[in-house]
Amino acid sequence: MNMRRIMKKAALLLTVSMVLMTLAGCGGEKAAETLNLFTWDGMFPQEVLSGFEKEYGIKINYSNFDYDEDMLAKLETAKGGDYDLVIADDYIIEIAIAEGLVKKLDKSKLTNLANVDPVFQGHFYDKTDEYTVPYGAGIPLIVYDPEAVDIEITGYEDLWNPALKNNVALIGNYRVIDGIVLKIMGKSFNENDTAVIEEAGKKLLDLAPNVRLISDNNTQDYLISGEAAAGFLYTSQVTMALAARNDLKVVYPKEGLGFGIMAGFIPSQAPNEDAAHKFLDYILRPEIAAQCFEYIGYVCTNKAAVEYLSEEARQSLSLPEEAKSGEFIMDISAEANEVHERIWTEFKAALN
Amino acid sequence: MRRENRKRQHDGHGFLMIAPMYLFTLLFVFAPLCYMVILSFLTRAEVWGVVHEVTLDNYRNIMTPVYLRTFYESLKLAGICVVLIILTGYPFGYFMAKLSSVWKRRVSMLLMIPFWTSALIRMYGWIIIFRSNGVLDKLLMGLHITKEPLKLLYTYPAVVVGMVYALVPFMIFAVYSSAEKMDWSLVEAARDLGASPAKAFFTVTLKLTMPGLLSGVVLTFIPSMGLFFIADILGGNKVVLVGSLIQEQLMKARNWPFAAALSVVLMLLTSLIIWLYRKITKVRELEGFY
Repeated sequence: MNMRRIMKKAALLLTVSMVLMTLAGCGGEKAAETLNLFTWDGMFPQEVLSGFEKEYGIKINYSNFDYDEDMLAKLETAKGGDYDLVIADDYIIEIAIAEGLVKKLDKSKLTNLANVDPVFQGHFYDKTDEYTVPYGAGIPLIVYDPEAVDIEITGYEDLWNPALKNNVALIGNYRVIDGIVLKIMGKSFNENDTAVIEEAGKKLLDLAPNVRLISDNNTQDYLISGEAAAGFLYTSQVTMALAARNDLKVVYPKEGLGFGIMAGFIPSQAPNEDAAHKFLDYILRPEIAAQCFEYIGYVCTNKAAVEYLSEEARQSLSLPEEAKSGEFIMDISAEANEVHERIWTEFKAALN
Repeated sequence: MRRENRKRQHDGHGFLMIAPMYLFTLLFVFAPLCYMVILSFLTRAEVWGVVHEVTLDNYRNIMTPVYLRTFYESLKLAGICVVLIILTGYPFGYFMAKLSSVWKRRVSMLLMIPFWTSALIRMYGWIIIFRSNGVLDKLLMGLHITKEPLKLLYTYPAVVVGMVYALVPFMIFAVYSSAEKMDWSLVEAARDLGASPAKAFFTVTLKLTMPGLLSGVVLTFIPSMGLFFIADILGGNKVVLVGSLIQEQLMKARNWPFAAALSVVLMLLTSLIIWLYRKITKVRELEGFY
């Protein structure tokens, strides 16, 4: 009885304070100019964000998403409004452009656009470079601890080796993981033939005994701590793994690489596109870009920034020769996607 | 007391008082539910979104062995967890009700404090305990029980421990509130009439605390079908639960109608389980559900 009375009081107090907070929000001072930036968590170092705010007097309102799909769903609900600048993956940008949610860039406002390395321009999601500015590229790679592994790893297929039993950490992206099986079979990451994908699914099941865990977040930690001896990781994770332990070995799998670009775009109904252009131009400055890429650990897409990178970063953040033949992971048919999803669920069910 | 309350609801004033609650339920529970049911009969678009073509394919898809197995795995895990939760939570709640009022307050405070931290953070705490060369490993090796670091993390038992840990307070509080209201003189009477302690427990105490126990079961069984983040963090994503399947269909596969169909089936399944509990046990009022 007593407990209940306390609970009631607490609930009342909470309600009152919430109402007060809402009222306080309404009567705020006239807002300064803001830039609504929408991207993953941790895409910019704090100095870069603060530097922009100080220089232009524009406040950055950073909101983040976990998945590209989450971003597109929100952008669609907002009918292309609410956000001024979005940074996301290539394949989702292709869809966003097709859905009419992206505005063409005003290149006269982007004085530093020439700093972009042309290798990363003119790709499938924006062939004419009218909508996007690349901000980092990635290739998922194998990293392993040569001390803890008896075999030499040269390609994806080595991950199936029984010597790696219960010792492999994987990222949780099924298009990439199913895709490496397709690569072993000599097919494309973007295979649309469902019979081929089914076959890949069977081979994927054989990998199950070797999998220690699947995780999309901080997958490198498991390698660094020794929880797993080999891992298939995103680029930024590879960079972090090497920064923590330089005895780890990186493998560019011989079967062929997957490749992806992240890019910034301005939504069709962006409330403050002017601020978005200013920010894009700001992060294209060579010294700012260098700071950004050292922080995010993705391949540097700004050719003018390379000379500002530290010696080690220049090594790890520039595109190696092998990667030039990397294959984009693009959107495939709904039918093929469903088969991918099913074989992935079958694979995960075989893990425990 | 309760009867009086119920009578008062019938005059006009009472209705006005609760109208906002009905409106709230209609708007934020019933409407999304309808939306989800409708969505589950639509077809996914080739690239993004849904097209308005009515189909049963999403439900047919659930019948494929791999997805049925996901439901089975979820039920199995939830079942194992609930049994362990009963075995640990029931005695705890029972003995807690027998403490002095000062200690009752202290113990419930101690049970409450972990809730001040996010459940996610508490799961990361378990990683520190379970990981290779972690706290538990060091302890076991220090006691010469094991010689080498074990791989405890990312295993089925690790997921079960995490689930039980996260949910056991709900059982404790439910049993406690039942046991606290219980008239202990009934147990004494049973003992005076010659029942053994065990018999007195099973015929009197257990029956009287049944509402608490059952609401504890409902309160822990249903969340344990959905707490997929524990399976992700402590199980290394190796145990596929319906919850994680729905999330993946929604966020990664972009198959919203299928995700909706999975949610509908999951809801029907849990409703069925609650109905069965009530049917079998003939308990109408669950503790905390009125």
